[in-house]
Amino acid sequence: MSTPVFSVEGLWKVFGPKADRIPTDPELSALPPADLRARTGCTAAVRDVSFGVRKGEVFVVMGLSGSGKSTLVRCLTRLIEPTSGTIAIDGEDVRAMDKSRLRELRRHRAAMVFQHFGLLPHRTVLDNVAYGLEIQGVGKSERRERAAEVVAKVGLEGMEQRRPSQLSGGQRQRVGLARALAVDPEVLLFDEPFSALDPLIRRDMQEEVVRLHREEGRTMVFITHDLSEALKLGDRIALMRDGEVVQLGTPEQIVGSPADDYVREFVRDVPREQVMTVRTAMRPASAEEAGNGPAVAPTATVSEAIEAVARAGAPARVMDSGRCLGVVDANALLDVVAGATGLAVDTDRLGGAIPTAAGTSEELV
Amino acid sequence: MATVTAAASRAVIPGILKVAAGRKLLVLALAAAILVPLAHTRWASGTWPTALTVDLTTPLTDTSTWIIDNRDSHPLFLYFLGHVSNAVVLAVRVVYLLLLAAGWAGTTAFAALFAWRVAGARLALGAAAAFLTCGALGMWVPTMQTLALMVVAVLASVVVGALLGLAAGLSGRMDRALRPVLDTMQVLPAFAYLLPVVLIFGIGVPAAVLATVVYAAPPMARLTALGLRGADKEVLEAVDSLGATARQRLLTARIPLARKELLLGVNQTIMMALSMAVIASVIGAGGLGDRVYQALASVDVGAALAAGIPIVLLAVVLDRVTAAAGDGTERTGRAGWAYALVAAPAVAVAGRLMGRLDWPDTWVLNIAEPVNRAVDWMTAHLYSGVPVVGGTAEWAGRFTTWVLDPVRDGLQWLPWWAVLLVVAALAWLIGTWRTALTATLAMVAIGVLGVWEPSLDTLSQVLAAVAVTLVLGIATGVAAARSDRVDRALRPVLDIFQTMPQFVYLIPVVALFGVGRAPAVAAAVVYALPAVVRITAQGLRQVDPAALESARSLGATPAQQLWQVQLPLARRSLLLAVNQGVVLVLAVVIIGGLVGGGALGYDVVFGLAQGDLATGLVAGAAIVCLGLMLDRVTQPTDRRTKKGA
Amino acid sequence: MRVRITTTAAVGALLLLTGCGAADMTKQASPFANAQGAKTVTLSVQSWVGAQANVAVAQYLLEHELGYRVDTVQIDEVPAWDALSQGRVDAILEDWGHPDQEQRYVQDKKTIVNGGGLGVTGHIGWYVPTYFAKQHPDVTDWKNLNKYADQLRTPESGGKGQLMDGSPSYVTNDKALVENLNLDYQVVFAGSEAAQITQIKQFAKEQKPFLTYWYAPQWLFKKVPMTEVKLPAYKEGCDADPEKVACAYPHTPLQKYLNADFAKDGGEAAALLKQFKWTTEDQNEVSLMIADQKLTPEEAAKRWVDSHESTWRSWLS
Repeated sequence: MSTPVFSVEGLWKVFGPKADRIPTDPELSALPPADLRARTGCTAAVRDVSFGVRKGEVFVVMGLSGSGKSTLVRCLTRLIEPTSGTIAIDGEDVRAMDKSRLRELRRHRAAMVFQHFGLLPHRTVLDNVAYGLEIQGVGKSERRERAAEVVAKVGLEGMEQRRPSQLSGGQRQRVGLARALAVDPEVLLFDEPFSALDPLIRRDMQEEVVRLHREEGRTMVFITHDLSEALKLGDRIALMRDGEVVQLGTPEQIVGSPADDYVREFVRDVPREQVMTVRTAMRPASAEEAGNGPAVAPTATVSEAIEAVARAGAPARVMDSGRCLGVVDANALLDVVAGATGLAVDTDRLGGAIPTAAGTSEELV
Repeated sequence: MATVTAAASRAVIPGILKVAAGRKLLVLALAAAILVPLAHTRWASGTWPTALTVDLTTPLTDTSTWIIDNRDSHPLFLYFLGHVSNAVVLAVRVVYLLLLAAGWAGTTAFAALFAWRVAGARLALGAAAAFLTCGALGMWVPTMQTLALMVVAVLASVVVGALLGLAAGLSGRMDRALRPVLDTMQVLPAFAYLLPVVLIFGIGVPAAVLATVVYAAPPMARLTALGLRGADKEVLEAVDSLGATARQRLLTARIPLARKELLLGVNQTIMMALSMAVIASVIGAGGLGDRVYQALASVDVGAALAAGIPIVLLAVVLDRVTAAAGDGTERTGRAGWAYALVAAPAVAVAGRLMGRLDWPDTWVLNIAEPVNRAVDWMTAHLYSGVPVVGGTAEWAGRFTTWVLDPVRDGLQWLPWWAVLLVVAALAWLIGTWRTALTATLAMVAIGVLGVWEPSLDTLSQVLAAVAVTLVLGIATGVAAARSDRVDRALRPVLDIFQTMPQFVYLIPVVALFGVGRAPAVAAAVVYALPAVVRITAQGLRQVDPAALESARSLGATPAQQLWQVQLPLARRSLLLAVNQGVVLVLAVVIIGGLVGGGALGYDVVFGLAQGDLATGLVAGAAIVCLGLMLDRVTQPTDRRTKKGA
Repeated sequence: MRVRITTTAAVGALLLLTGCGAADMTKQASPFANAQGAKTVTLSVQSWVGAQANVAVAQYLLEHELGYRVDTVQIDEVPAWDALSQGRVDAILEDWGHPDQEQRYVQDKKTIVNGGGLGVTGHIGWYVPTYFAKQHPDVTDWKNLNKYADQLRTPESGGKGQLMDGSPSYVTNDKALVENLNLDYQVVFAGSEAAQITQIKQFAKEQKPFLTYWYAPQWLFKKVPMTEVKLPAYKEGCDADPEKVACAYPHTPLQKYLNADFAKDGGEAAALLKQFKWTTEDQNEVSLMIADQKLTPEEAAKRWVDSHESTWRSWLS
């Protein structure tokens, strides 16, 4: 497996007086948030977080407000200076970078899309999109040309000369996205980009991101507080609570085998049949079954399989490149829907993932 | 038995302590219980004890004499202040000659075309009409002199203010250091700036310009800092996330984002510079202010008005044009600018060729006479002997006897430590211990300067004027908020009174109320009223419509709506109105000295008139202290935090 | 780097602009002077109308007979000396005697020269309206003033009689006089001459009694006839100690003062201003036109000039 694009180890961000001592003090670092605040006046927004973001994947960090996810993403490019821990981008230590190297990182390697867009109100759409290039010192005509291409790519043709105030929320976020894309970064960072938008527009934008990801295969780190968004977009999800990652895994792992009660409560209302794949409900096929019945792919969701099983009235075979991996029958599928079946494979909290997920992301590269 | 009392007192004291106000008062009472007997045994006197005063007369007189004697020889003057002075004179002269060279036609065309580009056709017409009116009133040359002085003063103020604001906007430490200074300068009366500048530069244009800069730069600095600090955090973060350098961040994001505040700052600076340019006529600024001042000497209201109207017109035009620029409704398109840039010189050249540079004498309207007749009629018929209500002179007499005298005598009868305690208690109840400390120290400073008695006299006038202003202002404000017609009718009147130089209405005030403290109070009321009316009306109008609607749906009468919903909800605006009323009233105290207000105002006027800087500076400092004290005492706590945003 | 270059350039430009080396700001004309090639004279106008009359006539003659452009600036008496010394004004046409200033600027610094007498004699005193003096003839002696304190009371003076003083720029010993002559009076400062005149006119309109500090020549006497109250006679030096003054004000021959450089290089204008000399009646005539008939100073000057050619011809030699 190649080096992760971002690799984060033991990252801490503590706000407050003499924040430095907290991560190194075993007693203090073990305190729950309320006690820590009472004792030291400090708040640990990010506590001992480790993960790796692989090339080409969509890595989602999910959590409720105040869970530290936005702080975490800002630490990646040191918009917020971390308190301790290591961050590496393509193996290079981000925290050791000097000012100009860091600027280089922000200019070319990681661009961010913000919740409230962060557009410059006094500039036109085109100039906003070209802003990152302008910062880099790209000449006027060239940057406008490149910006125009990106503007077209995000579907804003004809609006180049408008000002942000003349756009709808969804259009503004397209500008924000275009600005990040224009500098052609290695990684796109999204900080709850769609939570300020209406539900319908949010769905459009999510599909836009899916489309972009499919077309370009760019690595993305996506922050959200919306579980369905996380499940929809994420190849892997890190679920945060009080600054800590509670569980890290594929959507299927998170829904199928929650690491603790908090996660379980969180995913309770998720329509499992749409997240879980047939692998969960699969059992070894008997010789007879291996020859007959409808075929489904191993990545097919349970709900797809139910449809096939119901139509055929027989168990479905899970076929992977002509090989039968097993079968799913009606009972097993219904167990998944009812929540009786957990995921067979144990989840690895920090960075590990089952082969399927890895396989998927590698296919995408 | 003992246990019972103990239990009871224990129950009572925490009860009081729970209320923050009670706790503060308790602490003060304790401090007073210790300090007052001490102070009383040591310096037993009702007024400020002489043992605690410092006489500054000798050092101040010496300083003033030293400066006059060394102004033409000491290196400080030759190599620094002299250059400053020269630069100012040179700059004003250049602008003045340019304006004269453009001639009246060229200048008017330039003003109109500029207004057109920035603010549209209507304001362009307004600007042209304003300039032509200045000419028609026979005030062309003085108008140009004032304009030249203004241009230089405003440019300097904007540069100085923007630099200070930039420093405060970018550095937190600088901001913390500057903010109290700027806050304080904001409440100082314009007159207070004149004396120190005159001391150094002598009478004349340099002193006037520099006093104007000192007076007009603070709002620019405040607003620049505010704009830079108030920028959308996420936008700045976005800029950072794209790898902008500090310089790029400042030039492409922070300054453009603060555009609105910057232009508002320019607008404020212009308005303040204009009002100062008039007041500075006392120290030889020349121009329109001087004409008003000269007309005053011959008791000629009409002539004063003829010079006052151009000031009002300039103020209104400059205000509207800069405000329109700040709205961001600017017209893009270079063609228009190009056209304007060609047309203005063309008109100027045409005017030159026709030999029409000076305003033609035959085109001058004489408004002085009808105005004077009107004023005479008014004073003749209102001064006394009006049936039933009595004349204005009688009102003034009664106001003096029944309001001003008791308040003054009451204040002066109070022992000095009692005054300090009252001030401390008020300031603490309304603000924080910091405001209380500032207010008390300001009062102590007054005592130490040895002007305790006149300061209390002035204070009594200020209190009376504020009371009258608030009653009238809030009543009018309520009327304006409830009826659009009243509001529309009031607006131009308020505009005029806010920009009209205060000198203009001194004579009518004396003619109506005689000489003394009553006319001084009247002048202060006239000056402070517009702001109070505005703030009240605005506050009432901004009351949440939903709250009003729910009150109406519950069947509240209009009176109930006003008293139970609108006024309580507009509380913050009303407090601001009080604060502004106090500050503005104090600003006219010195003007009041010109109509017999006596006390500190007279001392400052005396100091200026006699070149007696010891008297003038001490009285000026006392006014500054009074201003600080009154501002702190009337300042709601949260103003500070809101400003910090 | 670029910042430093800009700063250097700016500082350099500023130095060039102001000229390197010393800058004496006491030799600095008004920026409005000599505009457009016109020869300009700047005259100081004091706040009283008599001074305006002098300036109006001088201005009219300078503009119409000699072709100067005249700027006037209103400055109070004492600061006017400083401004005159610095050359920000060229002349003061009516000075009521300021020994301290004269010592400093004329004798020591030699930046101001005496421009000769104005021809008018000034006198300060206490006055009551003539209608009141006619009813009560004994009021014109200071010894009887206490008798009338009651009638001269106003709300402003509290329980005592009111002695109204005017502008703070005027020479006054009134507080000391009231004290030293044991008068039951309170000095009330009108704060400006405008306020004082307005108040006097209002009193006169109602035929009310009043006691005021006033001075002659003054046009107001024509409108509101006033009679002087006799104070203990003036003797040379009796007003030396301001705290102990108990005598009347002196009669002062009013003087003109010119900036030294202007007196030397001022050409015809300086010559005219040195020659300028007229009578109390002349001054009052012009004052009255300005203050009472509300003519513009220019108009008033024109009328006087048109009818008194013989007087001013001699100034133009």
